[in-house]
Amino acid sequence: MDEFRLAATTPDDGAARDFDGVAIRIRANRGVVSVAAPRGGEAALADALRSAFALAVPEMGGSTVSADGKARLLGLQRDQFFLLIDDQGSEAFALVVEGLGETAYLTDQSDSWTMLAMSGAKCRTALERVCPIDLHPSTFPERSVTRTVMEHFGVIILREGPEHYQLMSATSSARSFLHVIETSIRNIL
Amino acid sequence: MNQPNRVSGGLIDTARTLAFTFDGRRFQGYAGDTLASALLANGQRLVGRSFKYHRPRGIFSAGSEEPSALVELGCGAGREPNTRATTAELFDGLEAASQNYRGSLKYDLMAVSDLLAPFLPAGFYYKTFMWPAGFWEKYYEPFIRRAAGLGRLSGAADPDSYDKGFLHCDVLVIGGGPAGLAAARAAGRAGVRVILADEDFLMGGRLNAETYRVDDMAGSAWADVTCAELSAMDNVRLMRRTTVYGAFDHGIYGALERMTDHMASSDGKPRQVLWRIHAKQAILCAGATERSIAFGNNDRPGVMLAGAVRAYANRWGVAPGRRVAVFTNNDEGFRTANDLAAKGVEIAAIIDSRERADVAGPSGVEVVRGGRVVSTKGRAGIRGVVLSDGRQISADCLAVAGGCNPNVQLTCHQRGRPEWCDEIAAFVPGKLPAGMTVAGAAAGTLTLARVLAEGSRAADAAVREVGISPSPAAVAPRAEDEAAGRSAFLLVRESRGRVWLDLQNDVTVKDVKLALQEGFRSVEHVKRYTTLGMATDQGKTANVLALAVMSEEAGKTIAETGTTIFRPPYTPVAIGAFAGRSRGKAFHPTRLTPSHAWAEEQNAVFGEAGDWLRARWFARPDETHWRESVDREVRQTRASAGVCDVTTLGKIDVQGRDAVDFLNRVYANGFVTLPVGKVRYGLMLREDGFVFDDGTVARLGENHFVVTTTTANAVAVLRHLEFCRQCLWPGMDVHLVSATEQWAQYSVAGPNARALLRKIVDPAFDISNQAFAYMACGEITVCGGTRARLFRISFSGELAYEIAVPTRYGDALIRALMAAGEEFDVVAYGTEALGVMRIEKGHPAGSELNGQTSARGLGMGRMVSKKKDCIGNVLSERVEMNREDGLVLVGFSPVERERTLVSGAHFLAQGRPATTEADEGWMSAVAFSPTLGHGIGLGFIKGGHKRIGEVVRAVDPLRATEIDVEIVSPHFLDPEGERLRG
Repeated sequence: MDEFRLAATTPDDGAARDFDGVAIRIRANRGVVSVAAPRGGEAALADALRSAFALAVPEMGGSTVSADGKARLLGLQRDQFFLLIDDQGSEAFALVVEGLGETAYLTDQSDSWTMLAMSGAKCRTALERVCPIDLHPSTFPERSVTRTVMEHFGVIILREGPEHYQLMSATSSARSFLHVIETSIRNIL
Repeated sequence: MNQPNRVSGGLIDTARTLAFTFDGRRFQGYAGDTLASALLANGQRLVGRSFKYHRPRGIFSAGSEEPSALVELGCGAGREPNTRATTAELFDGLEAASQNYRGSLKYDLMAVSDLLAPFLPAGFYYKTFMWPAGFWEKYYEPFIRRAAGLGRLSGAADPDSYDKGFLHCDVLVIGGGPAGLAAARAAGRAGVRVILADEDFLMGGRLNAETYRVDDMAGSAWADVTCAELSAMDNVRLMRRTTVYGAFDHGIYGALERMTDHMASSDGKPRQVLWRIHAKQAILCAGATERSIAFGNNDRPGVMLAGAVRAYANRWGVAPGRRVAVFTNNDEGFRTANDLAAKGVEIAAIIDSRERADVAGPSGVEVVRGGRVVSTKGRAGIRGVVLSDGRQISADCLAVAGGCNPNVQLTCHQRGRPEWCDEIAAFVPGKLPAGMTVAGAAAGTLTLARVLAEGSRAADAAVREVGISPSPAAVAPRAEDEAAGRSAFLLVRESRGRVWLDLQNDVTVKDVKLALQEGFRSVEHVKRYTTLGMATDQGKTANVLALAVMSEEAGKTIAETGTTIFRPPYTPVAIGAFAGRSRGKAFHPTRLTPSHAWAEEQNAVFGEAGDWLRARWFARPDETHWRESVDREVRQTRASAGVCDVTTLGKIDVQGRDAVDFLNRVYANGFVTLPVGKVRYGLMLREDGFVFDDGTVARLGENHFVVTTTTANAVAVLRHLEFCRQCLWPGMDVHLVSATEQWAQYSVAGPNARALLRKIVDPAFDISNQAFAYMACGEITVCGGTRARLFRISFSGELAYEIAVPTRYGDALIRALMAAGEEFDVVAYGTEALGVMRIEKGHPAGSELNGQTSARGLGMGRMVSKKKDCIGNVLSERVEMNREDGLVLVGFSPVERERTLVSGAHFLAQGRPATTEADEGWMSAVAFSPTLGHGIGLGFIKGGHKRIGEVVRAVDPLRATEIDVEIVSPHFLDPEGERLRG
C-alpha cells in the first residue's frame, strides 16, 4: 500500500510549443466532471450550480464562467454539461460531488480528456486545416463550445478568449492529436 | 535567338528571367509566364503526341481547358504527368518533358498508329482482338495500353505532402474575371464575408487577355486595382491558384488551392490544400470557353483558339506565329487580327464563315467572306491552310474563333442540365444548385459592360439573401460592350482529311458518325462508345462540336439532341489531395494504453486493435519465438499470477432513476435483481435478434451502473445506447457518458491474484473471498488513498480481478502491481495469452461475436429472458435461429495431437466433399494450449453439443490443410468454475 504510492502522469504533461503567432500548451491539471440533470431536477441543479460554483446554466453551445474564472460550465447537450475546474486535477470530482450532491448525475472525466490550450493571432488560420466549425467571431464568439471531429479525433472546442481556444481530445490519443495540431500550425507558417 | 516570338507589352516581368528545360533543352521565359507562353515565346510549337494516333500536337488554348499541351512536370518521384502547359506557372528551374512517344518527340516510332487509323476507329477493341479469347488480357490489352495513353507515373510514392481544410463564407465568388471581380467588390463593400477563388495565378480573367477598358483604365489595371481594394477588406479572402472543382450538397464547394506548384521547392509545406468551402450563397463567374470549328487536320500544332492567341499576345507578349491566319464564325476573329496587328504580327487573312459582318480587320488584310478552311498543311506544325476553293494561304498559326461555351460545369454537379440557347448558339445553365447564381459569360452574357453589371447585380441579390443590404457604393464598373456578331457555323462539311473533335481522346467526326451508324442514338451512349469528352478535360473544347455533328447526322437540332452533363472535378485533382494527411501513421489516430510506456520498456510486441496499440506478448531476451513468450505467460498466470492491461474495453457510465429499466431493455438478460456491489455478465442483441456485443454490468449504486463492452464495439455500443435513450425512450431518466478513457484497468489473474492485490488495496477494504466474492465490485482506494474500482471478474478462468484507477495513475499502478507481485513471480501477459486463456475457458470473443451468431448458438440461449422484453427478443425467436440442428459453439481438439489447428477452417463430415452444400460450420478461434499441451479450437457446428465425441474434418482449401478434429466441450479447463470462485 503505502510502499507503492502512485504518481500521476499525463500524456506530454505540460508540453509547450511556441510557433510564430501560435502557442500551444497541454493543460494538465484542469478537472472535468460530467454533470447530467435528472429529469425534472433542472431547476434544483441550476440552484446548486449557482450556490456551489457561482455558475449560471449555459445555453447549448455556450459556456459560463465563475467570477474568479476558475470554474467553467460547458453546455454540450440538452441535459448534460461539463464542469471544468482549474488546478484541481482529479480532486475536482470530489469537490463537485460535495458541491452538487444529489442534484446531478456526476461522472469524473478529468482523466478522459487531454486539454490543449491554443492561443495567438494565427490560431484560426491553423485550425482551418482541421476544424470543420466556423470559428469566425460572428458565429463562434467567446465562450462558445461545441463537439466536432478533427482528422478522425472527437474534439470539444471551447473559445476562451478572442484568440484563445481549448481543444479537448481523448487522453489515449493525445499524442496523435498533438501531432495533428502541430502539423496544422507548421503547414500555415 | 532567345525567345524569338516575344512581342511588346504583356503582364510579364521582363526584368526577371526564368530558366527552364523542355525535353532536356534549356529555355528562358519571364516571371508571369506559363510554361505554354514561354514555349511559344521560344518558338516551340510541337509539345506532345496525341493519345491514340500519336499525332503531333501543340498548344491549343491558354487555360485549364487545354486538351493537347499535356506535359510531364518535375522529375523523379515527384514527376507529374498530364499537366497542362497552359496552366503551369513558370518558375526558375522548372523541368518539363513531352509525353506519349517512342524514340523522339519529333520522330515518334508509334506514329505508325496514325497510318493504321483506318483500322482503329472508335470501339475497334470491341470488335477486333477477339480471338483467341485468352489473348485479350495477356497480350492485346497490355499492348494497346502501352501504345495508347498519355504520361507516365513515376511509380514511386508521392514525395509531396497535402493538406485539407474548411472555409466558411456568406458569398463564394467562383472565378476572378470581370463578373467575379465586380461581384466580389459589390459583396465585399456590403460587408458580408466573401471568398473569391480563381484558378489562375493572376486575377482578372479575360481582362488580362483583352484590350478592354474599365472605369477609364486598362482592364488589367482595373483588375489589379480591384484586387488591391478587396485585399484590404477584412471580410474578403482572395484565393488565387484555387480551382473550385465541385459543387456539393448544402452549399459545400470543393476547392483545390495550389500552394507550391509554382515554386521550385515546397520546403516541407503542403503542395496543395483541398478546401471544403461552406457558402451561404455562391456566384458562379466561371466565364466561357472558346470552341473551335471542325475542319480537316484541325489538330496540327499551330491551330489555336483565337481567344488564346489574343491572350498570348496581350497578356504574355508572345506572338504564337509569325504569320497568322484567322478562321472565324463571329466578330472575335476580327478582334484577334486587330490585336495581333497592333503588336506587329503579320495577318495572312481573315477567313469568315459569314457572308457579311459589321466589323473590320486591320487595314490591308484580306477578308475571305463565306470562307471555309478545309484542311491544313504541315506536319509538326502548320505551314498553311487550304480553303474550300482550293486556295492555299501560308501561315504558321491559325487562330480559330468558333464562339463561346459558357462554363456551366458546376451548375451540373447536382444533376442540373444545361439548356440550349439559340441566341449565342451554346448551352447555358439550367436548374441551379440551391444557393447558386450565375453571372457573366458563364450565364451566357458575352459582352463586357453587361458582364460587369450582371456580376454586381448577382452580388447584390446574394447579399440580400444573407440578410444584409447591398452597399450603395457598389455601382457597376463602367465599360463598353464590344462587337458581338456571331453565327452557329461549327462544321466544315467540305473538309479534307480527318476532322478532330476531341483532341485529348483523339475522337474524330468519323468516329461520331460511326457510332450513330452502329445504332447509338443517345448522346450519353455516343460519348461512351467514342470516348468523346471522357478525357481529363471532360471535352471542354470538344462537346458542342460533337453535338453539332450528331445533330446534323441525325437531322435534329442541338437542343433536341441534348448534352451530357458534367461531374466533379471541374479540372483534375490529384488523389493525394483527396487523401490529404491521411497517409502512413497519420491515417488514423493511435491510442496508447496507460501501460504503454512501461510495456515498451518490457520489450512488448504491439498489435493494433482498432486504433489501440496493445501488447501482444512480452518477449524475453532468451525467447526466440512468440509461442515461447505466450506459453510462458499463460503457464505463469495459471500457476501463480499474471497482469494484463484491459483498459481498451469500453466503459460506459449509466446513471439515472430509470437506469436499471434501461439496461433491462437493452440487454437480453435481466438486471433488476442485480444488487449494489455486484457484477453480472450481459448479452446485448441487435434488433434482428443476433448477438451484438457482450460485457459486464457493475452496479455501483442504486442508480449507477458501469457497463463494459468489447474493445471493438466500445463506440458502436455507446452510439446504440444513445440512440435508444434519445430516440426510442426519450422519457427515461437515464444518462450515458463514456468512461473508457477515464480508467486505467488491469486484469490481475491467477491463484495468487488476491494475495498480490492485498499488497495494493488499502487495508480498509476487505477483499477476502467471503467479503468480496466472485462477481463482486466496489469503489476502493489503493496504495495509500488513490481512488480505485475493483471488480472480481474473470476472463481467463482463474481467480481474477480487474482493478481500475484514474488513467493518470495507470502507469504507476502497473509498476506497483509488478513490484508487489515479484514475490509471486507475477508475469505481464499480452493479448495473445489472453486469447489462449479465454479459448481454454470457452469464453466467446470477437471472432464468435461476429454479427452472425445467436445467443442460442453461443450456448447462451437461456440468457434471453422471456420475463421481460428487450431489443432483439422477438426476432431471436425466429424458427431458423432456433433449429435443433443449428450452429452451436463447441470445442475442437485435433485427433493427432501434434497437429496445428487453423481458424477459418470449415467442418465437413467424414467422406463428404468440400462443397458449400456439405459445409457444417467453421472454426472461429484456435490456440495452442500450454495447459493441455496441444492445439484447441472453438467453432460453430451444426447440432453442437449433441455431437460431442464425433470426429469431423476441419478443411481449409485456402491454406490447403485438412485435420481430423474431435468435437468436445468448449470448456477445456475447469468447466465447473472452481478456480474463479476460489
